[in-house]
Amino acid sequence: MSYILSIVKADYLQRTRSYAFLITLAITIYVAYLFVPPHHAIYSTLSASGFKGAYNSAWIGYVSALMTTVMLSFYGFLLVNNGIKKDIDTEVGLIIATTPISNFKYLLSKQLSNYLVLCTIVVCTFLVSLVMFYVRGAGYSLIWSDFILPYLFFAFPALFVVASLAVVSEVFLGKRSVLQFMAYFFLCGIVMSQIATKGNDIPTGFNDPFGLSLVTSSVKNHINTTYHQDIKQLSFGFIFSPQKPFKIFTWNGIDWTGIFIFSRLVWMTFALGLVYFSSFFFHRFDFKQVVSKKKKLVKQTQENHQSFISSGGINISSLPPVVSNYSISPFIKTELLLMVRQGNKWIWLLNACLWMAMFLVPYPIAYSYLLPVLLFLQVKRWSDLTTKEKTNRLHYFTYASYRPLLRMLPAQMLAGIILAIVLALPLIVRSAILLNILPVLNIMNGTVLIVLLATTLGIVSGSSKLYEILFFLLTYCVLNRLPVTDYLGSMHHGNEHTLTFIILGINIILAVTGFLVRSYQTRHL
Amino acid sequence: MTLEIKGLTKQYNSQKTGLSDYSITIDKGILGLLGPNGAGKSTLMKIIATISKPTKGTLFLDGKDIVSNPDFIRKILGYLPQDFGVYPNLNAYEFLTYIAAMKGVGGKGLRQRIDMLLEGVNLTADAKMPIGTYSGGMKQRIGIAQALLNDPKVLIFDEPTVGLDPEERVRFRQLIAELANDCIIILSSHIVSDIETIADEVAIMQSGKLIIKGDQQDIIGQANGQIYEVLLDNSEVADFKMRYKVIDTGRQNDRMRVRYINKDNNTVFGSTPINATLEDAYLLLTLNKA
Repeated sequence: MSYILSIVKADYLQRTRSYAFLITLAITIYVAYLFVPPHHAIYSTLSASGFKGAYNSAWIGYVSALMTTVMLSFYGFLLVNNGIKKDIDTEVGLIIATTPISNFKYLLSKQLSNYLVLCTIVVCTFLVSLVMFYVRGAGYSLIWSDFILPYLFFAFPALFVVASLAVVSEVFLGKRSVLQFMAYFFLCGIVMSQIATKGNDIPTGFNDPFGLSLVTSSVKNHINTTYHQDIKQLSFGFIFSPQKPFKIFTWNGIDWTGIFIFSRLVWMTFALGLVYFSSFFFHRFDFKQVVSKKKKLVKQTQENHQSFISSGGINISSLPPVVSNYSISPFIKTELLLMVRQGNKWIWLLNACLWMAMFLVPYPIAYSYLLPVLLFLQVKRWSDLTTKEKTNRLHYFTYASYRPLLRMLPAQMLAGIILAIVLALPLIVRSAILLNILPVLNIMNGTVLIVLLATTLGIVSGSSKLYEILFFLLTYCVLNRLPVTDYLGSMHHGNEHTLTFIILGINIILAVTGFLVRSYQTRHL
Repeated sequence: MTLEIKGLTKQYNSQKTGLSDYSITIDKGILGLLGPNGAGKSTLMKIIATISKPTKGTLFLDGKDIVSNPDFIRKILGYLPQDFGVYPNLNAYEFLTYIAAMKGVGGKGLRQRIDMLLEGVNLTADAKMPIGTYSGGMKQRIGIAQALLNDPKVLIFDEPTVGLDPEERVRFRQLIAELANDCIIILSSHIVSDIETIADEVAIMQSGKLIIKGDQQDIIGQANGQIYEVLLDNSEVADFKMRYKVIDTGRQNDRMRVRYINKDNNTVFGSTPINATLEDAYLLLTLNKA
């Protein structure tokens, strides 16, 4: 066991000693601050129509624990689902494969380090929630158990499951990150719909890894009983709605039942069982087993052929003269080629279907749902636009090339923008035919935004993870019609032109930041 | 063509110094850099390749300051880093076209140039395979080809023979010898025999400082008269190693042949003085400064 702990410790330190993790942590702390909005704010996190909870320790403790659990269950997966991939990329996996560690113990160590990373974030949000209790101070006394117990029984077990699923998805879907995201969020969608359709039954927690139903059902019952209402459903998440009159009610938390606590243990055991099951299918860094025999034969023939070739070396004087060409078009071509070849070929089939569908489905659906989804499917293509040089150790060539800043970075940005605009083309064409010029501008502005966000976050954090998480959250919010995140301009706003100028301003700031930071990096390897 | 380096210092942090007041003048021909790990060879090469900025000091190429004007050298630079990578999804043609674009090389002759370079490094047969499927040696050969794409006048090779088989090493040495008439070539290697075979001049570094620079005979001359060989029983070797710096050992019948440095010319029974090699001189000089 001690050597598993050593592996977990090393893995945990490796992951947390990165800018990407620190930035994620900073964003999480800010988001945790938003979990407890002032009563007059334009959004709420847990509320019923016409009712808002008083900010006593139960409300702040439970809501922040629930929000942490649900939010982190979504983007935490993106944060930790590269533990095995890292071992493949760094070739540490080859060393691990030769050690006596069993598949299960290795995967367990990955699961535990995933869990520790997530727990670190949970501890930070826990501390922020305590601070928020005093910031929003409504004169109530602090009850520690109202903070500790929800985190203990909601966040920690749920994230144990998330940490396990991240490992399992890496085992079964390998490096196909986009497929992993899709499978995971499909699963999350099923679980959330199960929770939503549960109705008025007393929740046991066996169908709810987050513990959400326990709290919503308790709050709902409290309001209905105290105020003689018939509220069927509560709003949960960042819900933006126009300010209406509301009553403040005092809710004092839930009574923890043995069956609910037992359900947490069942979920955790189930998660461990999944890791154990996946260990039978773990590749143990031996990828030759998945290469087909046919491919093997082709390669072998080529290797044999090569050994018969004789070469007289390079006769420098006979090489054609060098012709200077400092245009950036070859870079753009190569960047496009790299993006097109990135990832699984099946994603392109899905892209093609969505692209065609954007011509055929009603305009608002194409604009509000299909386009954000289609753009998000390219997350891996954009996320490594400016990080791939370092991950592939090619930056020595890039930074020593002629005017790398003025040629390479614009080429990477342009290639990303070209791909984004081509993907958005059906909607741009439809808007233009309808003579809707503002949507055309907003779509182009939005596509530029997601590409510049990718390039700049990649340059600043040195990792693709931060962008992947942010882009996921952005897409999630856009699909949930959160106006403040409307980067494509598909929602109605007071002043339509304001959004265009705001996004344009953000784009300029992102581009300038990217250039400044990369300028420093090119001379300080 | 002359590269003049004066008072170069690279301070990574208060504890770690890459180079310390390093000065050297490099003319056309092959300069071999020798030094133990951490001596500052790669740091020096990165600074010359303009990807790392010195904390102090100047670098002039033909009188032009390349610290403040890095693009001057970049146009004529060929650089093969020690630990470089590739884009695994590109094939050799696509990769070299990409690197050519970085170097500002284009025109109609580019395709032919790439063909000839690939032929020269023996990769024509695999040129259309993704580089991700290449062996370490094949990747190293792609690295050599990319360094020559722009007809470079300054060539920097950091451990270029790593991963090459003996035949490829010989071919690489021939290639460098041909290029040296017209360029400055700076080459670092842990394999002293590679440097010994091709370098016109050798610079030995240690702890970020230049210990000596000169032609090979001058440097070897520093060790002459101090290198000896002796035949010992197995049981005597450990004790002998405590008293002398042993360079090499090998079995001869049932005994051990020991090659060692005898700085003080003490009389050791059965020892015979032998001609020093560059490796002997290197070990002697780095030992003196340790």
